Amino acid sequence: MSDETKESGPLLIWFTAVAFLIGMAAIFIYAPTEQMEGAVQRIMYFHIPAAWLAFFSFFIVFISSILFLWKKEREWDIYALASAEIGVIFCSLVLITGPLWARPIWGAWWVWDARLTSTLILWLIYVSYLMLRYQTDVGSMRARFAAVLGIVGFLDIPFIHFSVLWWRTFHPPPKMISPEGLGAGMDPSMVTTLMLSLGAFTLLYFVLMGQRIKVEKMRDEVERLKKDYLYTN
Amino acid sequence: MNQYLNQVRAIIWKDFVTELKTRELFSSMFIFALLVIVIFIFSINLSIVKASEVGPGVLWVAFLFAGTIGLNRSFMLEKENGCLEGLLLAPVDRTALYFGKLISNFVFLLIMEAFILPIFMIFFNVDLLPHLLPLIYVIFLGTLGFCAIGTLLSSLSANLKTRDIMLPILLYPLIIPIIIGSVRMTGQILAGEPLSNMTNWISLILCFDVIYIAVSIMMIDFILEE
Repeated sequence: MSDETKESGPLLIWFTAVAFLIGMAAIFIYAPTEQMEGAVQRIMYFHIPAAWLAFFSFFIVFISSILFLWKKEREWDIYALASAEIGVIFCSLVLITGPLWARPIWGAWWVWDARLTSTLILWLIYVSYLMLRYQTDVGSMRARFAAVLGIVGFLDIPFIHFSVLWWRTFHPPPKMISPEGLGAGMDPSMVTTLMLSLGAFTLLYFVLMGQRIKVEKMRDEVERLKKDYLYTN
Repeated sequence: MNQYLNQVRAIIWKDFVTELKTRELFSSMFIFALLVIVIFIFSINLSIVKASEVGPGVLWVAFLFAGTIGLNRSFMLEKENGCLEGLLLAPVDRTALYFGKLISNFVFLLIMEAFILPIFMIFFNVDLLPHLLPLIYVIFLGTLGFCAIGTLLSSLSANLKTRDIMLPILLYPLIIPIIIGSVRMTGQILAGEPLSNMTNWISLILCFDVIYIAVSIMMIDFILEE
C-alpha cells in the first residue's frame, strides 16, 4: 500500500463526516418544510442521493468490468466488487426510504410504479451479481464471470427503463432535472440542501470504496502469506 | 464463412442427434410447461378473471420456466461427460459454439411452444387461430431474446457448483423487459389489436435480441476460456 492512501484515508473520512454534519443541519434546520407533504418530504434528501450513488456504483461496476476483461488486472476486479457491494447497499436504502415516504403520501407502502419497479429489478440484478461472486471459487474464473455479468447487467438498464415505463408510472416527475430548468420546481434552499446531501453521499462513496478495496487487498495478502507458509514449511 | 457455417451446423446436428436418441430434454420441458399451466389454472379463479387477460402471463411463465430447464441442460450435459473440453479443444471458433447452442436451444424451445399452444388454447378456452400469425411473430422474438442471453448465462453457470439454481437467479432479472413486452403484446394480440399498434414493444424486443446476441459474441470468449 502506498503512503498516499494511508494518509489521505483519514483525511477523507473527516471531510466526509463534516460534510454529513453540515448536510444534516441543512436537511433538518435550514430546508423549509414542504407545504403539501410536511416533514416526511425531508426523506427526499436521503432518497435521491442514495439513488444517485446506487446508479453511480453500478456504472463503476460496468466500467471496471470492461477494464478487467481488457487488462486482466486483479485491481479492476476488486473495484467492481467493492462498487457492486456499495451499490447494493444504497439501492436497498432507496427501496427502504421510498416506501417510508410513499405510505403517508400515496397511502400504500408499495406501488408498482415505473421507477420503483426498475429500482427493484436493478437491485435483483446486482444481488444476483454478488451471489455469483460469493458462490464461485477465488480465481480468474470468478473475476471473468463477474465481469461478464457486470457488463450484461448494466446494458439491461435501458431496456428495463423503457419496458417498465411503458408498463405504468405514477412516480412524481423528476423535480431536479425538469424541462423548465435545473431545480425549477423547488425552493432554492431545498436545492442547496439536496446538493449538500448529494455531495456528502458522494464523498461517502469514496470513503467506503477506499475501505472495501483495502480490506480486499488485505485478504489477498493473507491468502498469499498462507500459501507461502504452506510451501515453505 | 462456409467453414464457419459448417461448424455451427455440426454443433446443432450433435445436439439434435443426442436429443433424438434420449428425448430427455423435450419430454421434460414439455411436461414441465404443461404442469405450470395446470398449476396456474388451480391458482387462478377463472370464473372471476377473464381467461384472455391472465392467459398471456400464464403462457409466458410456462414458456420461460420450461425454457430454463432446456438452457440449464444445454451446457450441463456437455460438462458432465467432459464434452465441453472436447468442444473447446476442437478447432472451432468460440462464437460458432455459441451460435450452435443458441440455435439448438431456440429450436427446441420453439418446438415445445408449438406443442403447448394448442393445449393452452383448449385449457383456457381462448381462440388463437385468428391471431396465429402475429402471435407466432411475438413468440419468435421473445424466445430469441430469452435464448440469446440464456445461452450466454448457461455457458457461465455450467461451471458453478450450484448451477441449477444460479441460472434462473442470474437470468430472470435480466429478461424482465422481455417478459413484460411479450406478455403485453400477447395480450393485445388476443384482444384483436394489429401488430402496428405495438411497434414500440416490437422495436424494444428486437433491440434486446440484437444487442444481447452481439454482447454474447463478444463475451463468450471470456467465459469459455480454460
